[in-house]
Amino acid sequence: MLKELFSQDTAPHATNVLIGKLGEVLIRAVGKPLNLAVNWGRLWSLWPVHLETACCSVEFGAASSPRYDVERFGIIEAFGSLRQCDLIVVMGTITRKMAPRLRMVYDQMPDPKYVIAMGACAITGGLYFDSYNVLPGIDGVLPVDVYVPGCPPRPETLIQGCMLLQEKIKRMKAV
Amino acid sequence: MTTPLPPGIELEKIDERIMTLNVGPQHPGSGHMRLIIKVDGDYIVSCDPDPGYVHRGEEKMAEYRNYIQNIPHLERPVIHDSSNILYPYCLAVEELLDIEVPERAKYVRVIASELNRCIYTLYWLAIYGIFLGHSTMFMWPAGDRELFIDLLEAMSGARVTHAFLVPGGVRNDLPANFEERCLRQVNYFEKRLKEYEAIFYQNPLLIARTAGTGILSRTDAIRLGTTGSVLRASGVDFDVRKKEPYDVYENLDFETVVMKEGDSYARSRVPYLEMFESCRIIKDALQKMPKSGSVRTKLKPNPKGGNDEVYRRVESGRGALGYYIVSNNRPEPYRVKISVGSFRNLICIPYLLKGEKLGNMPAVYWSLNYWPVEADR
Repeated sequence: MLKELFSQDTAPHATNVLIGKLGEVLIRAVGKPLNLAVNWGRLWSLWPVHLETACCSVEFGAASSPRYDVERFGIIEAFGSLRQCDLIVVMGTITRKMAPRLRMVYDQMPDPKYVIAMGACAITGGLYFDSYNVLPGIDGVLPVDVYVPGCPPRPETLIQGCMLLQEKIKRMKAV
Repeated sequence: MTTPLPPGIELEKIDERIMTLNVGPQHPGSGHMRLIIKVDGDYIVSCDPDPGYVHRGEEKMAEYRNYIQNIPHLERPVIHDSSNILYPYCLAVEELLDIEVPERAKYVRVIASELNRCIYTLYWLAIYGIFLGHSTMFMWPAGDRELFIDLLEAMSGARVTHAFLVPGGVRNDLPANFEERCLRQVNYFEKRLKEYEAIFYQNPLLIARTAGTGILSRTDAIRLGTTGSVLRASGVDFDVRKKEPYDVYENLDFETVVMKEGDSYARSRVPYLEMFESCRIIKDALQKMPKSGSVRTKLKPNPKGGNDEVYRRVESGRGALGYYIVSNNRPEPYRVKISVGSFRNLICIPYLLKGEKLGNMPAVYWSLNYWPVEADR
């Protein structure tokens, strides 16, 4: 059996299998702690994109105010370059004019990236479900990780949504 | 030009010297809108604003909801100034349906409106501070704003979207001990406002960035049809609360703030000085308010407007805000037109930014007291 494996014509294949098996063993040994470490790093420094899409941005701003202070939970205030961001909070209504821009912004962000749909409008269209210019939710545009309901959500609700996202990241497969 | 470029690629000619920049909708210096700016080196040659990213068809939606159902979605364009955007709607519907408003309700409305004006102005001031890189000026107004939000939450039950003003008065009476609480917080807030003067308005960096930039002359302000703080910063004494007093504003003691300079500094200072006047109005209204009585006239279910049209306007945080409602004997309005202050102030951006430095763009743009969601409706 072994002799057959290591014979001349099957040797490259066998080495590959062996390396593969070794890799599996290695990942089983190192993977879990590595996963934890990588996720820990991603967890506590979420940078949101500064893309205001509608009126929920008022409550997003209030969440960074001294009373709510979302920075305590590792969500950094939305300033800086798009290329350094890994979180996009869709703040409310997405109109037909904004939807392509939203997708462009999402495509330019580096992986891994997460999406929070904030407010009833981003989830289902909300109060504007029958308006001619509003998308019924952003599910058709972006893959959403966490839905934060409310019209608009209170800053506490947004913070809870961010913490749910962190719980999700903890359980994600990083390596 | 030594080597020919491959087909399909064009470089700008050097003698044109013009570069086009897109500012927004994803940009820390813009709101929910785009400015197409052409620059020559550091100087802006032309600016073309491109609003409409939050156009949600409010006016069309108002045509298939009845007069009471229209309230929640009509306050969404400015959720942090929701009483003031509903105020003209309530006045117009009351005129259309012939509703008499109780005396106490008129005072409660004025208090709600002035509290909301402070909330709006503080949010604007916080954003103005952070866009100029002054993060203390974000933290202070954003923190003080919560005091007034608490007051309005006690009044109406909601944090920002109150739907407190309804045709026929206000939705519910004031809670117990509201007068003392309101007076205490307004007195505290006046003390805090004086501290803003030292940290923000006397700050040499702010003065260097805003004084003398984006000057709008008195004649231009009138010619372009600007309104609100932009108009008053250019030396025109126009305030709807004084010139066409609605509800009980004629009984109350306050003054309009007018500045002559017409630059970004004056435009950023007028709303700040108006907050003192708002505090004065609130204190005066609390004193003159009837201590008991009804606050809401009961309406018939599904009331019908006559064959009529009305136009009423009030002074909002951003200037004159008017509703034009046409009715044709049906429970739903036939046509609702909302004339908002933000959109009328947007028109002067191309005039103000021409010849400015690119770095002054956020200072000029945010001094216009502009809220894009309201402008797009």
